[in-house]
Amino acid sequence: MAGAPHQNPTMGGTGKPAPPTHPLVRRVTIAVTVLFLSVFIVVPVVNVFSQALSKGFDAYASVFYAASPPEGAKLSPAERRKLSSDRSQAEKTWSSIRLTMGIAAVVVPLNIVFGLAAAWSVTKFRFKGRSLLITLIDLPFSVSPVIAGLIFVLLLGRSGVFGPWASNLTWPDPFSLHWRGFAQEWWPFAFTQSFTGIIFTPLAIALASIFVTFPFVARSLIPLMDSQGSDEEVAALSLGASGWRTFRTVTLPNVKWALLYGVILCTARVFGEFGAVSVVSGHTDANDTMPLRIEKLWNEYNNQAAFTVASLLALLAVVTLVVQVLVERKTGKAAMTEVEGVDMP
Amino acid sequence: MTGNAVTEDRSPPRPPAGKLFSSPSRPSRLIPGLPLTLGYTLFYLSALVLIPLAGMVFKTTQLSWSEFWQTITDPIVMASFKLTFTASAIAAAVNGIFGLIVAWVLVREPFPGRRFFDALIDLPFALPTAVAGLTFSSLFLANGWIGGLGRHLADLVNWLAGLAGVGEIVSADALSWLSFPYSNTNTGIVLVLIFVGLPFVVRTVQPVLREWDTENEHAALSLGANSWTIFRRVIFPEIFPAWLSGVALAFARAIGEYGSVIFIAGNIPGKSQIAPLQIVIKLDDFRTAQATAIGIVLLFFSLLLLLGINGIEWWTRRREHRVA
Amino acid sequence: MSIEIIGVSKTFNRFKALSNVNFKVETGELVSLLGPSGCGKTTLLRVIAGMEAADPGSGPILFDGHDVTCQEVGKRRIGFVFQSYALFKHMSVFENVAFGLRAKPWRQRPREAEIRAKVGELLQLVQLQNFAQRYPSQLSGGQRQRVALARALAVEPSVLLLDEPFGALDATVRRELRRWLRKLHSKIHVTTILVTHDQEEALEVSDRVAVMNEGRIEQFASPETIYDNPANPFVFKFLGSYNLFHGRKPNGSTAVAASPSSANGVTFVRPHDVEIRRENTDGSGIAAKISHIAFAGSSVNVELARIDDQAVVDAALSMHAYKDLGLKPDDKVFIRLRNTRSFDDDYVI
Ligand SMILES: Nc1ncnc2c1ncn2[C@@H]1O[C@H](COP(=O)(O)OP(=O)(O)OP(=O)(O)O)[C@@H](O)[C@H]1O
Ligand SMILES: [Mg+2]
Repeated sequence: MAGAPHQNPTMGGTGKPAPPTHPLVRRVTIAVTVLFLSVFIVVPVVNVFSQALSKGFDAYASVFYAASPPEGAKLSPAERRKLSSDRSQAEKTWSSIRLTMGIAAVVVPLNIVFGLAAAWSVTKFRFKGRSLLITLIDLPFSVSPVIAGLIFVLLLGRSGVFGPWASNLTWPDPFSLHWRGFAQEWWPFAFTQSFTGIIFTPLAIALASIFVTFPFVARSLIPLMDSQGSDEEVAALSLGASGWRTFRTVTLPNVKWALLYGVILCTARVFGEFGAVSVVSGHTDANDTMPLRIEKLWNEYNNQAAFTVASLLALLAVVTLVVQVLVERKTGKAAMTEVEGVDMP
Repeated sequence: MTGNAVTEDRSPPRPPAGKLFSSPSRPSRLIPGLPLTLGYTLFYLSALVLIPLAGMVFKTTQLSWSEFWQTITDPIVMASFKLTFTASAIAAAVNGIFGLIVAWVLVREPFPGRRFFDALIDLPFALPTAVAGLTFSSLFLANGWIGGLGRHLADLVNWLAGLAGVGEIVSADALSWLSFPYSNTNTGIVLVLIFVGLPFVVRTVQPVLREWDTENEHAALSLGANSWTIFRRVIFPEIFPAWLSGVALAFARAIGEYGSVIFIAGNIPGKSQIAPLQIVIKLDDFRTAQATAIGIVLLFFSLLLLLGINGIEWWTRRREHRVA
Repeated sequence: MSIEIIGVSKTFNRFKALSNVNFKVETGELVSLLGPSGCGKTTLLRVIAGMEAADPGSGPILFDGHDVTCQEVGKRRIGFVFQSYALFKHMSVFENVAFGLRAKPWRQRPREAEIRAKVGELLQLVQLQNFAQRYPSQLSGGQRQRVALARALAVEPSVLLLDEPFGALDATVRRELRRWLRKLHSKIHVTTILVTHDQEEALEVSDRVAVMNEGRIEQFASPETIYDNPANPFVFKFLGSYNLFHGRKPNGSTAVAASPSSANGVTFVRPHDVEIRRENTDGSGIAAKISHIAFAGSSVNVELARIDDQAVVDAALSMHAYKDLGLKPDDKVFIRLRNTRSFDDDYVI
């Protein structure tokens, strides 16, 4: 996905100019490209922001903060009802944002650790079944998100393979952790709430999100680490560095940009995952992530609010793209100075 | 003197003081961490991928054949499969053609804004599917930017005319032929699937085009071939494997797509429901067995495509080896 | 520290890269491993360094008489310089050299001031004191090479292993660095193994040379011995251009008095040991016709064809001798062979 650093456009791989295309063909193909990409990418994205702001900035803000009436104003019952419904809508939106961030906070670090471990084992060693392992890492890309959700339902749902165990499992809600003090027991923290079961709880959402997003970090690291080889690591080891130190001071700095890019992609996908999460969420308001919240608002014909939440996700996507361009420029530059600096034949 | 290593002052090997002669254990592997990282990778993969997938297969084996067959051949399910596969195939074909043109232009034809458009290609990867579905469905609504293109244009013209003080010059309906015919919701499905699969063809073909040695084209030109022949006979065969795997990837992605489609589709049973939606509906009705049956069919096709794509890659690598 | 290798073999999925290698490097010696590409030089070096495990059952590797076969790379106190330098791209020259010091276990780690002093000293030694803050990408190939060497020396290795250290450099820089390495070695006197496929380099720099072929050591001796007394045809061939005559003595000639007479076998002679004369004064010359003359700077390469069997013979003359003789193509002359080497025919290369 992360393309190679851009080269001079008219040059082929060998740097020789290509024969010119017929001017008419040139114009037509460029026009087709611009039109196609505009209609299919630019317009839809601009549309998100324009719809979100279609009723003005106040309406945009009121999706998150219900406009409060002026001090001491008399409210008619209808107005009061509208205000309270606005408030509850805003609260639901906030809860979806909180849940999504919470899920990301759990999922992304796990996937970073996995990505680093997988990339290390796959690129630094040769063993039987290595290419099978790489294919397996890619598997979630080719599985429908709905199936990603379905398999967890089939595994942990009420009639699932581990159903009897999973549906009676009680686990504390991490967000309900609170300070209780030392008065009662030796352990000063406690959870006020707990969940029972796995499917239709945030845990299932986290599991489904992990399934859908775990390849991202590994995928952005493996090609780079493969191309860099292990010479530097071997050099570090021969100088007496420990494995962990070698990883920390030699490998990690070399792949930090690719890692950053993978992490951002992974995060964006966790925020945006819809299908898998939708299947395991149980459609309750409490389990709504941002995309599910968008769907609910859309189904309630609250288009502007739906687009407002969507605009946050679209912004994240745009940030992802910007980071990608920056990373490419960074690594492309590094590669280029590398080439320039070498004065061997 | 065959194979004789002549060494000066070679003393007969003597056992070193203290140590035994042969070394019982081999030195540990050069780079450390294989057991730890591979172990963790395998654990994570099995816990999250293999066991759940195995669970699904296990559940499928518990279905009776007639139950499975009944589910699959149910007219509504069949219709959903047909819709999913035809819409995906059309979208993949469109992406195959336009993706090739886009990749070509982005690599070979410089124009102002090329970098910008190049960066945009990855947007469908980054944009959440729900957002894509949302914005597409609103675009193609009767008053959306594209769905109501004719009316919007007429408004624009009249507004400009108003500025010039001429008054209304086109009626609101005069340009309605420009409005995208959105009455058939299945068109919307194809459109959003095109969006979703757009990066695949472009991003697989682009690197091959960049690596392509343009000397070959000069050579063909000097042999008297025209541009179209050169493209057809010289360039296209070179990028064909990459293009094919790009199309297959776009197709695979489209088959599994859910989030964006349900926003834009009419979701009428037997008419505009895609197969993944059928799974969700069956699950919501607690008809898990039927959902499993549909799921396993979809999964089967996904894995088949994955196998095909890997096959194409293997084939390309082998071809490169032969050339090199 | 002395290095001794006894009966070491290494197999890569059934391909024997090293077969039963024995050799011993004395303390403070500079030894070259010389051989054609793919003969196993790098493999041998990596086995010594512990980067590659020798086949199970093959003999031990002894450092000062202690078996280090099971020791990890980091513990062997070796300085390894890679063919590709393998500098840390994201670290400055200073940090590269300081890496080994900073990587020491906490107790043995020198203080920052000591590290600075030590690195400064090493950079002085490799003549890069002004480049401390540069990054590897901003250095020339020769400079990178020296950084790699300084980095390896920083941990005070007892063995220095250099894998084709000058492989990627041009001829002039190579020669310069070669001399510099020789000087460095006489200064710090650390046991050094240098891998190269350049005979000139090996002969010029080393105390002893090990000529390798197909995973075996063909000869291990001082440069003079290797050159003057090659143990077998491979070594002879590898050390420079040569003429090959079938039979123990070139046909019909008594010029090679030293070599024992025998019907089969081969005889080698270097082009500069082929003497060209106008007259066959003592009757020992072989009649030949000059077919081609090529100038190669300080010497002249003359290609001749023997009159009797049309075999091609190459001769190299000094410009001086060439001028004296006044040779022209198609001239008929007589050649005499000095310093011939004969080998039994049953030697299989
Ligand atoms: N990891 C490996 N797997 C399989 N074969 C290998 C491996 N490493 C080396 N070989 C083979 O072992 C033989 C010796 O390799 P080695 O790298 O030691 O050669 P070399 O003498 O250093 O050559 P060069 O001068 O080209 O560097 C070669 O034929 C090579 O193909
Ligand atoms: Mg080598």
